[in-house]
Amino acid sequence: MIQKRKFFKTIAGALAGIAMFGAAPVLAEDWKPSGPLVIEIGFGAGGSTDVIGRIVANTIKEQTGWNVIAENKPGGGGMAMFTAIANKPADNLTVGLGVNMPVMINLVNRPDEVKFNLDSFAYLGTAAGAQVALVARGDAPFDDLEGMIAYTKAQGGLAIASDAKPQVLTMQQVAAQAGTEFQFLSTKSSAEIIKLLLGGQALVGFATGTHLEYLESGELKMIASANRTRHGYAPDTPTLIDEGYDVYVDPWFYFAMSADTDPEAQTAIAAALAKALATDDVKSAVRNALSVEVVNLGPEPTKQMLVDGIENVKILFGK
Amino acid sequence: MPELSIILAGLSDAFTITNLFFVFLGVLLGQFVGAVPGIGPVMAMAIAIPFTFGLDALVAIGFLMGVNKGGLVGGAIPAILMNTPGTPDAAATALDGYPLAKQGRPLKATKMALYSSVTGDTFSDIVLITVSAPMAILALKMGPVEVLGLIILAFCVISGLIGNSITKGIIAAALGMLAATVGTDPQHATPRFYFGYFEIYDGLPLAAVAIGMLAISEILRRMAENTGVMRKGIEVCDTGNPADQRISWPEYWSCRFTLVRGTIIGTILGALPGIGSTAAAFMSYAGARQASKHPETFGKGNIQGIAASESANSAVMGANLIPLLTLGIPGSVGAALIISAFMIHGIQPGPLMFEKQGQLIYGLFGAMVMANVLNLIVGQVGMRFWIKVVSAPESVIFPSAILLCFVGVSLASGGISGIVIMLIFAVLGLVMNALGFSVVIFIIAFFLGPRLEESLSQTLALLNGNPWALLNYPIALALVVLAAVVLFSTQRKRGR
Repeated sequence: MIQKRKFFKTIAGALAGIAMFGAAPVLAEDWKPSGPLVIEIGFGAGGSTDVIGRIVANTIKEQTGWNVIAENKPGGGGMAMFTAIANKPADNLTVGLGVNMPVMINLVNRPDEVKFNLDSFAYLGTAAGAQVALVARGDAPFDDLEGMIAYTKAQGGLAIASDAKPQVLTMQQVAAQAGTEFQFLSTKSSAEIIKLLLGGQALVGFATGTHLEYLESGELKMIASANRTRHGYAPDTPTLIDEGYDVYVDPWFYFAMSADTDPEAQTAIAAALAKALATDDVKSAVRNALSVEVVNLGPEPTKQMLVDGIENVKILFGK
Repeated sequence: MPELSIILAGLSDAFTITNLFFVFLGVLLGQFVGAVPGIGPVMAMAIAIPFTFGLDALVAIGFLMGVNKGGLVGGAIPAILMNTPGTPDAAATALDGYPLAKQGRPLKATKMALYSSVTGDTFSDIVLITVSAPMAILALKMGPVEVLGLIILAFCVISGLIGNSITKGIIAAALGMLAATVGTDPQHATPRFYFGYFEIYDGLPLAAVAIGMLAISEILRRMAENTGVMRKGIEVCDTGNPADQRISWPEYWSCRFTLVRGTIIGTILGALPGIGSTAAAFMSYAGARQASKHPETFGKGNIQGIAASESANSAVMGANLIPLLTLGIPGSVGAALIISAFMIHGIQPGPLMFEKQGQLIYGLFGAMVMANVLNLIVGQVGMRFWIKVVSAPESVIFPSAILLCFVGVSLASGGISGIVIMLIFAVLGLVMNALGFSVVIFIIAFFLGPRLEESLSQTLALLNGNPWALLNYPIALALVVLAAVVLFSTQRKRGR
């Protein structure tokens, strides 16, 4: 029930955000950056976040005529970049693009070491939420989570390939509740997981979009959605929550600036960002990079998404 | 295999004036940034991607391939002419390239690098174009246990380069491995040695460490040696003998076995995502030295050393595209950027790509062939240009190179933090050099360390506490046995 309420709250917020943007262009026209607007990407060159950051920067530049630059600021999944933004004087020119999960994990696990909190930022919006799927090889002797757990019990274990700690924690909670045990093959990327699955080294793994073509070809099959909701392309595949395990992961790609940023600048940049995210170029790039549609929650709901997410991460880490 | 009409349509798409122009532009830019210490082709590609938004997919990707391939050739130039490799793989080229340049034969060294690079690259492209599907299946079968076996083999082959003192070599390797443990551990994602600095939460940035230890420390060392006399960056000996400034056919042909070995090593390692060109370059170099009747000439300007390193590190790139085009799996940062470019142009690399985008892929193959030919042509002129540049006084060359290293590392590693790390490792490089510890061994261990750790932790998860399960991995066992044989024979040679 709580999950549902949170979900509706997010949707309501998103609608409010959209309504606000309707009025925003007037302000956007009034405000202009005093120098180059820098979109700092919290990851290295190459990869989904890099693609999104660069194409958004380019689109804003084309649409507004502002000088917009994309820069890579890797380190800790965006932590280094957000730490720098939160701890330097607001310049109205620096926008950070990161992913919520690493930020939330560090805020929950290392609150003393992290030099910012959620209030250190003004949130501009989101590019998309990633759809995290639990997938198995096409020839796996099970088709759903229940079958997978039965198989694990019979075999005395099952290696699951993952590329992020929350995925491991999610499955550890599933294992604990089901009275079994999984082994985890930790990798650096979704692509590597696909390689392990196709190569036969792992039977089950997590995937964030890279699996779609293989679902089509039958080489992989989807066991469950690890998100809070089912995936649009697989409405019949249940979530872990549907299966009775109250755990999920919801990664979001979001944009934020220093909380001290001039409100007029915040509104203008958020409006420019929303306009860029609505273009076909950006939509197509996001679809190709993440296999999902652009979802811009807007400023307030983005913050709410992080606030809700923190609670979920606390549950995952048993805090 | 797509129909012949699709292949022909793709190739005719490739061979147009527009494409030729953009591939040429890419090669030119790639060779230029590759030759400038610090920036490198990967960063150049990242910067260039937004400029390709408005171009057709084939033109854009052909241009980026040009940058990448040009960078492979250009990367050897600072390594040979200044002993300041910008990337760890070019460090193997510097081992013989720089001594040859110092003997007054820089053009000979750079030409050998150019021909070897184009040879390796062309061969691996041919493998890509003709047999990418079976190679991809082979790559898929190489799981974590086999990759662990391969990395152990790489370490054993490269141990041949450890130098005169085994103790010092082992200490250098251990320090490199220690530096590689900074950042989250691969199995549990627990941060190690990051001291609250999220900049190094994922590990020390390779670009900063490599450029600091290999390029900046060398420049600082040579600046410290300066006695106030105005010297040129490099002296070109005018012996009057044209043979000193070119590579004759018999010389090239004498390197055929080395080139073939390097190319095969590069192609195999390139087809396996994640191992990379550094391991390939050093394995090939160590292999060439091991196989040579005169191993003592290596490190003193032997063209075989240049051929070994350059053929292998360039062969990696073409082969990197095998998992990329057939499975959508990038084998390196360069390949990840090519995937980004595909995505931006609305194309999803993956198993259905040959089916859905056959014409584009064959167009890309055409552009790659064009890039190889252009690399050779641009390289011929470019090498002379760079030798002229480096012939300027050291007082101009060194500060400019340091400035470029600062810019490059700042771009690649996220600003000031990258520069600080670069400077720390430059000092470490200077100290290690002064005390007779091999910086190259440090870098190889630093580069291979995370790969070793990741594949080891994955192997342990797969074995699930049962060592007998290793018997299910015959390829891995064969690689480990081979590693033991290599180690034994290397040590026996050393004993002689």
